[in-house]
Amino acid sequence: MAAADRPKTSARRGGMGARLLWRALLVRRSRVLAAVTAIAVGAAVIAALASLYFDISAKMSRELRAYGANFIVAPDTAEGDKTFSEATYRKLIAELPADRLVGASPFLYGVARVGEREAVIAGLDFAGAQKISPYWQVEGNWIGVDFDERRCMLGERLAASLGLHPGDTIEISNDDGSFKTELTVRGIVETGEAEDDQILVNRSLAQKLLGMPNVINLAMLSIQAEGEEADRLARTIEADFPGLDIRPIRQVSQSDGELLDKIKVLMAFVAGIILVITAVCVNSTLTAMIVERRREIGLQKALGADDSAIMRQFLIETVTLSLIGVAAGLVIGFGLAQLLGQAVFSTAISFRAIVVPATLAISLVAALAAAIVPIRRAIRIVPAQVLKGE
Amino acid sequence: MFTRLLQQSFRRDWRRKLLAIFTIVLATTLMTALASLSIDVGDKMAREMKAYGSNIKVVPKSDSIPLTIGGVNYNPLSGRDYLNEADLPKIKDIFWRNNITGLTPFLTLPVTLGSAEDDHVPLIGTYFHKLMPVEGFDNFFTGVTVTHPFWQVTGTWPEEDSLDQVLVGETLADRRGLKPGATLTLTAAEGKSRNVTVSGIVAASEEEAGGIVAPLALAQDLAGLSGKVGSVSVSALTIPENSLSRKARSDPSSLDAQQYDTWYCSAYVSAIVHQIEEALPNASARPIWQVADSEGVVIGKIQLLMAVVALAAFASSAMAISSLLNTSVMERSREIGLMKALGASQAAILSLFLGEAVVIGIIGGLIGAALGAGLSQIIGLTVFGATITFPGVVVLVVVIASILIALAGSVLPSRTIAALAPVETLYGRR
Repeated sequence: MAAADRPKTSARRGGMGARLLWRALLVRRSRVLAAVTAIAVGAAVIAALASLYFDISAKMSRELRAYGANFIVAPDTAEGDKTFSEATYRKLIAELPADRLVGASPFLYGVARVGEREAVIAGLDFAGAQKISPYWQVEGNWIGVDFDERRCMLGERLAASLGLHPGDTIEISNDDGSFKTELTVRGIVETGEAEDDQILVNRSLAQKLLGMPNVINLAMLSIQAEGEEADRLARTIEADFPGLDIRPIRQVSQSDGELLDKIKVLMAFVAGIILVITAVCVNSTLTAMIVERRREIGLQKALGADDSAIMRQFLIETVTLSLIGVAAGLVIGFGLAQLLGQAVFSTAISFRAIVVPATLAISLVAALAAAIVPIRRAIRIVPAQVLKGE
Repeated sequence: MFTRLLQQSFRRDWRRKLLAIFTIVLATTLMTALASLSIDVGDKMAREMKAYGSNIKVVPKSDSIPLTIGGVNYNPLSGRDYLNEADLPKIKDIFWRNNITGLTPFLTLPVTLGSAEDDHVPLIGTYFHKLMPVEGFDNFFTGVTVTHPFWQVTGTWPEEDSLDQVLVGETLADRRGLKPGATLTLTAAEGKSRNVTVSGIVAASEEEAGGIVAPLALAQDLAGLSGKVGSVSVSALTIPENSLSRKARSDPSSLDAQQYDTWYCSAYVSAIVHQIEEALPNASARPIWQVADSEGVVIGKIQLLMAVVALAAFASSAMAISSLLNTSVMERSREIGLMKALGASQAAILSLFLGEAVVIGIIGGLIGAALGAGLSQIIGLTVFGATITFPGVVVLVVVIASILIALAGSVLPSRTIAALAPVETLYGRR
């Protein structure tokens, strides 16, 4: 608290007012501290919740990427092509907003021979695939690097029918046997879908085995965008790549959007309730404090202070305390928001300027409402009554 | 004497008490509403998550591995195994039957359209919104509208069981320039063909985009497989997997009898899958992990978020109440001094304040719990369109918490004051 200078001006009212304020703050130190604490706690909760609420969309949107890929890129079917070039795919990835791209992987499918039988072989980028399909249940390990042409991952049903486990070796060849290779099974994948019947290898190996250099069938992307926004994004990218068909995967993108809206509504309710109740709590705490000062008001009146002067003094006092409380509350609240953000989403909550005026406005309204009503009541009473302690 | 003191205190000083009760009511309303919401939010969100589609797939037990690329199985039709359509209601008869919200059969076969001889597209036969006769469930409607709510149809859905209406996937419709009302000739591999009308264009998942969706009866007719289905997608309400269910999945024999019972009687996706396999001996059921696993992750996050927010609100309202009572006790220092001067013991003074705090805590806590219960129902109805299950234990916890907070806020300062010499307080030095 900065020391208020004792003004040496002859403007008595200003000097008197400042001195009254200063004395009021200094003499009743424990009470002032209690009032500032009450306001600061309220402001901290309001600031923390507001910060959290404004960030919830972005944070939850990232969490929803647990559902995996939400965009598919395929060659335009009108052309009748089943493949497109890998270079185009790399160019497309480079064009996407990097901060919103969670992961991406190209896919190339074909049929390979495993001993006496045939199985679908899928070529992909393992590093990207792990990002776009965090839900794959893997026994053994993921293949961590792209370019690994010595190892593969097997679908769980295929592995069961071939009697293979992580660590075993498997020989695969193409249709006419002109390309053969031996691979170590690094992990067994269970997804409940098509992957369970596939051999998953590195994209470059699949291209060699199938004799399809530098092309892919499709790409799956996981991008932070839901619902309408996803549709718009798809159209924007599609405009730059005429030969490609870029679509949001409805199952994921639409459901993401709906879910996110639900979460937003829920949070808005919760934040709203906490906001209102916190404001009322601050209000009633301050009301209690001011009611206790009726004797003081009676004394001021007995000493000849007029009503408006008393009112002004109390209001200035309240505003000063509120400002101090809110300033402290904003700092604490932002720290609290970080704690909440770390605890729930393990990332920081970004600071938004709107939180400052919002918190200030709500706290000031709560505090002033607490001050005005009891003071007006106190001013109306006869000094003798309060001073006697009725 | 004590009760008279207490009564007097409430009668003479009712304004202050009312304000204290009011603040406690507000804070406990908040706590109750948030606590009951965070307890129930998982179940409510699990229902919302059904939008992502079914989470269990049932296929025939078989040694043959399908050669499926882009939704078309390149294995010959002969020698494949199928499930019986007549067995489907058995899925709705397992231990967790109430958690099965829908089950949709699928039968896929390659067909050619009209003259293009080599242009094979997948024809997917299924239920759209069909009444399935199940014992104990009078109108159990099931089909893709239940299990795959993200499917969107431009035009109209085909009649259930019709043999001449189909939906066309959006990319196929684009490629062929098909609009609702167009007619097609579908020819199956064995040469059987039918003329059909396109009733609508369907936007669904990748598999349907390049294919045709038809009533199950039409697919069975073209494939010559009456009463057979290729796979069943099941939507079940599940609870997130944990270490017990993972253990049960990897090695069921490692569970002891009690663990096995716990696992079997919990709505884990693995337990429901196990029960479906018990009901259909010739089928193998598998979780669709994209839906099953992610659901647990996201619900966990939402629950954590609610719990953390509830905790923060709880702490802040506790502080607000404490500081309020603190102030009012400070203001009563003259009263305490007077009591001491009249010969009251430290214990008597403390017990008076203690009694006041308990009364305020109980009244405020009960009213707050009632209001909070109402508030949580309002939120539940607005956000989820369903009431929140209200656990009675919340009321108990909230009332006890509000008493404790009231005690903390009033007993501590009254001890400090009671320790002072009466002359100081009476003279107004405090």
